[in-house]
Amino acid sequence: MLRATLKGMAARKARLALTSLAVVLGSAFIAAALVLTASIEATVNDLSGDSYDGVDVLVQPLEPETRGERLVREGVTAETLAAVEDVDGVASTSTTVSWMINAIGENGKIVGALAPTMAVNWSDESAARELREGREPSADGEVAVSAKFVTDSGLGLGDTVTAYSLTTDQTEYEIVGVYGYAGGRDSNNGNTELAFTTAEAQRLVFEGQDVYSAVAVHAAVGVDADELLAEVEAVVGAEAQVITKAEYDEETSAETAEATSLIGNFLLGFGGVAVFVSVFLIANTFTIVIAGRLKEIAMMRAIGAGRDQIVRSVLTEALVLGSIGAVVGTAVGIGGGAALTSAASNFMLDTADVAVSVPITAVIAALAVGIGVTILSALVPAVRASRIPPVEAMREAAKADKPITGLTVTGAVLTLIGAALIALGLTENLGEQNLLGAGVGAGLVFIGVTLLTAWLARPLVAALGLLWSGSFAGRLGRRNAARNPRRTAVTAAALMIGVALVTATATLLTSVKASLSQVYEDTVAAELFVTGPVTSAVPASFDPALMDEIRGVDGVEAAAELYYDVADIDGTEQRVNASTDLTGVVELFGGEVAEGSIADLAGDEIAMNATAASSVGVAVGDTVAVTFSRGTEAHEFTVAAILEDNENTDGWYVSPAYAEEFYTPKPTTALVDVVDGGDVDAVASEVETILADEPTVSVQNHEEFTAQVTVFYDFAIIAIQLLLGLAMVVAVIGVINTLVLSVLERTRELGMLRAIGMTRGQTTRMVTVESVTIALFGALLGIGVGLGLGWALQQALAETGVDVFAVPTWLIIGYLAAAVLVGLLAAIAPAVRASKVDILGAIAYD
Amino acid sequence: MSLNFILRNTATIIERESVVSTASPVKTTAVSAQGVWKAYGSGEAQVVALRDVSVEFSSGAFTAIMGPSGSGKSTLMHCLAGLDTTDRGTVAIGGTTITGLGDKALTKLRRDKIGFIFQQFNLLPTLTAEENITLPAAIAGTKADPEWLRRIIDVLNLRDRLGHKPTELSGGQQQRVACARALASRPEVVFADEPTGNLDTRSSAEVLRFLRTSVDDFGQTIVMVTHDPNAAAYADRVVFLADGQIVDDLPAPTADAVIDKMRGFEKLAYDLGGIA
Repeated sequence: MLRATLKGMAARKARLALTSLAVVLGSAFIAAALVLTASIEATVNDLSGDSYDGVDVLVQPLEPETRGERLVREGVTAETLAAVEDVDGVASTSTTVSWMINAIGENGKIVGALAPTMAVNWSDESAARELREGREPSADGEVAVSAKFVTDSGLGLGDTVTAYSLTTDQTEYEIVGVYGYAGGRDSNNGNTELAFTTAEAQRLVFEGQDVYSAVAVHAAVGVDADELLAEVEAVVGAEAQVITKAEYDEETSAETAEATSLIGNFLLGFGGVAVFVSVFLIANTFTIVIAGRLKEIAMMRAIGAGRDQIVRSVLTEALVLGSIGAVVGTAVGIGGGAALTSAASNFMLDTADVAVSVPITAVIAALAVGIGVTILSALVPAVRASRIPPVEAMREAAKADKPITGLTVTGAVLTLIGAALIALGLTENLGEQNLLGAGVGAGLVFIGVTLLTAWLARPLVAALGLLWSGSFAGRLGRRNAARNPRRTAVTAAALMIGVALVTATATLLTSVKASLSQVYEDTVAAELFVTGPVTSAVPASFDPALMDEIRGVDGVEAAAELYYDVADIDGTEQRVNASTDLTGVVELFGGEVAEGSIADLAGDEIAMNATAASSVGVAVGDTVAVTFSRGTEAHEFTVAAILEDNENTDGWYVSPAYAEEFYTPKPTTALVDVVDGGDVDAVASEVETILADEPTVSVQNHEEFTAQVTVFYDFAIIAIQLLLGLAMVVAVIGVINTLVLSVLERTRELGMLRAIGMTRGQTTRMVTVESVTIALFGALLGIGVGLGLGWALQQALAETGVDVFAVPTWLIIGYLAAAVLVGLLAAIAPAVRASKVDILGAIAYD
Repeated sequence: MSLNFILRNTATIIERESVVSTASPVKTTAVSAQGVWKAYGSGEAQVVALRDVSVEFSSGAFTAIMGPSGSGKSTLMHCLAGLDTTDRGTVAIGGTTITGLGDKALTKLRRDKIGFIFQQFNLLPTLTAEENITLPAAIAGTKADPEWLRRIIDVLNLRDRLGHKPTELSGGQQQRVACARALASRPEVVFADEPTGNLDTRSSAEVLRFLRTSVDDFGQTIVMVTHDPNAAAYADRVVFLADGQIVDDLPAPTADAVIDKMRGFEKLAYDLGGIA
């Protein structure tokens, strides 16, 4: 029996190859995702291990350097440094000063829109830096720059670069050196970097105080790290925290793990989708393969093979096929994962030294999924095949389709249960389990609709068929697509899942964007905004003196600037705004004062919107303690007014006198109201001229402003399209599989059609229409389910401000176009095969 | 020989004789083959299927091609119908030489000038009986003559089966649909390849009677490959093939005459085989 099984497999190489391909893809995606995650983690760990190489103990400021997005001014003081240097076991120390700054490139724009530009102090041991050209900075007006800075800014050795921090004015520096990093890298973690003298770095980062971001300590010979730690801790006391290099590495690894777990989860999401889609692909292919062999199985039964032998034979085939596919897939996946790691590392980390790590779990998971899914997929059709009476299967006649009632009822029940769970979850009727309930509900809806696809196939495919009812070949192709609803359904389901996932995500993100736009359109009175990119590391800001010039522009009705900070108010993080014209700001933002007055807030008065007030639990007349980002001490404020809740006027308001203590001491935004009937564009261009020397900000109208605020969502939308691309690749193979096997099954029919006069062109068109119809069917279902889920998500988030439901029309049109493309691509090989069918062989009878 | 068998043959002969009298007396050539050779494979494994076959089929006549298995009868039909190419010699249909035509031209010729009836019915399961009947016209992008369609549908007694799918029809009904499809476009010639091979006796008789009627009443030309002497007895003429050559030509055949001839060839083949 085993011999017969293996010989049978060898005789059906084409089917074998197609089925294997499905297994290969599934295994490959899982292996690639796991290898990529592990490798990126390993690569990042290697990189962070580089910094502070050979250091034994680190002295760091008490607080971590950031709290929210605020700079915390504490550093390790010069006194602490001196004390540490005097410790007996200390051989030497080195200091680090490091923070984000702005540098202006050759084109007059800020360098590094995505990764931050860092200002550091040049020191002999600074983080494995390797000078490539020129020399280190030795005077305050000199700077050495990283190789990536040269690439990104267009500036080079001998050029002058303008740089400034939040607290300094624009200053010019001469580039005296260019450096890379250990391992031939051009950058560290993708950052661009400028290295100044220690004094200049302290001026930029610490407003000229003699403090450091960290002090690295080397132990004297014979002193171990733990002894040194105790000694250093004794002199530092409560002034700073002291950790060993090992602890530091652990901390960084933990941070890295957190950062890479995000990437990892994203990739595993991809892997999950790939497996889910592959399950359909493999199961479908196996069902078709076995359906095509019913006659042979019947013959085996007729000559005395038992049911269990048939099942075992099929399962053996699945095991062999699954093993080959899984092994090849795992190998391909590991290779792909390594290649992806290399590409990702070079793009994100600028490192040529990639540590490819192949965790044993990746191999086991990929093999297990490949083999397991294949065997499980083969089980049902195998048992079904063994139950068919031999005579029935041997009869050569068209057989009626099996009823799909069972599938449909199960699908409908699951869909309804899922929808109910989503509804209960969204209306918060599931207690603690709201999110879990809605998630499980979404999963059930997915499975339910997948089971319903067979039932939906006939009417939907018939409706789609109207598209090509003009041509006879088109009509035949459409009928072929509707002819085996189960097969069409499973094939289309693979595509449906991918399209549904991206449609749901895109719908949600589009709704978020639309909701934001709506808010601005409805409420903001100002026509123009002066603001900078929200993605920039250093907040955009401009000189407040320019406000008078802006107010003087012809056609400007009013203009108000806005300072922004995240402050500590009664122990909670709160957003605080300040302006010389608070009344103007609230008016331009369409806000309303509910209680009290915001006009001319006194130095010790504060205002806030209703939500903010209730979050701290204060009313007009109460007092709060506020510490600003750069503030060294808390200030007492009395609540003078409460604003009505309004998206734009969120947060707290104080007098601009405190802007000095804000993280960004200069205004970050300005609102410009143009007189009714005024020329908005003309005003915009005049204001733009006034802002010519402010590289971080620009003038934007509503549309541009919204686009900038929502730019993150655009990135996210693009990222999820990659997911679709993946699902599409799997779907193409699924459709090819189904079509090739259908063509094989219908050889006689095709031969007859060709014999009675159907041309090759008509045959090709017929198969192509079938293919495109299946693909479109899958895409339409996916769009339907995706819009439904997207709507549910939007409803769930409506309370948080996502109150507009928006359909990503162009993306959906794109998905349909992609589905047509999938159909066309998948049709090529099967259509050629069908048109070349050997007429005599096809119509000959045994 | 059972009484039933005798009765059936007698009935067949009487029926045939009763219709022969109405056959058209004007005979032109519908299909002709001149010096056709066809071989498969090469070297030691070469099998010569047709050796210098020359034969003509009159229009408005019902001709059966008979012969033992492997005699080349199916190959001859395929060559005549433009489904297969000849190695040497020419084939003409309705005065047009089809030898040397390309795939496109042959496809068009089959579509417009030839009707096919297969042993396996070969209906499209996705189409209704009516759509299957009009399939050749649909492929050509034309519309079949409704008056003509009505007539053949009535003769074949398919009126109340038109909306059914092939799976809902019996074997005999499916083959009747196939007959209607072959005749729907009034082809120059209908090739029937073992049309009764998959049918019971009653359905076979229905199909053969229809073929006879279509020749007698509609002037259709039919070339049928069969190995059933009873089926051959419906024809006006039987051409016998053995070992790739035409070995006999029997006009106005009866089942018994055909059986006798066949026995002779089989004995001859057996004797030859024994000597070799």
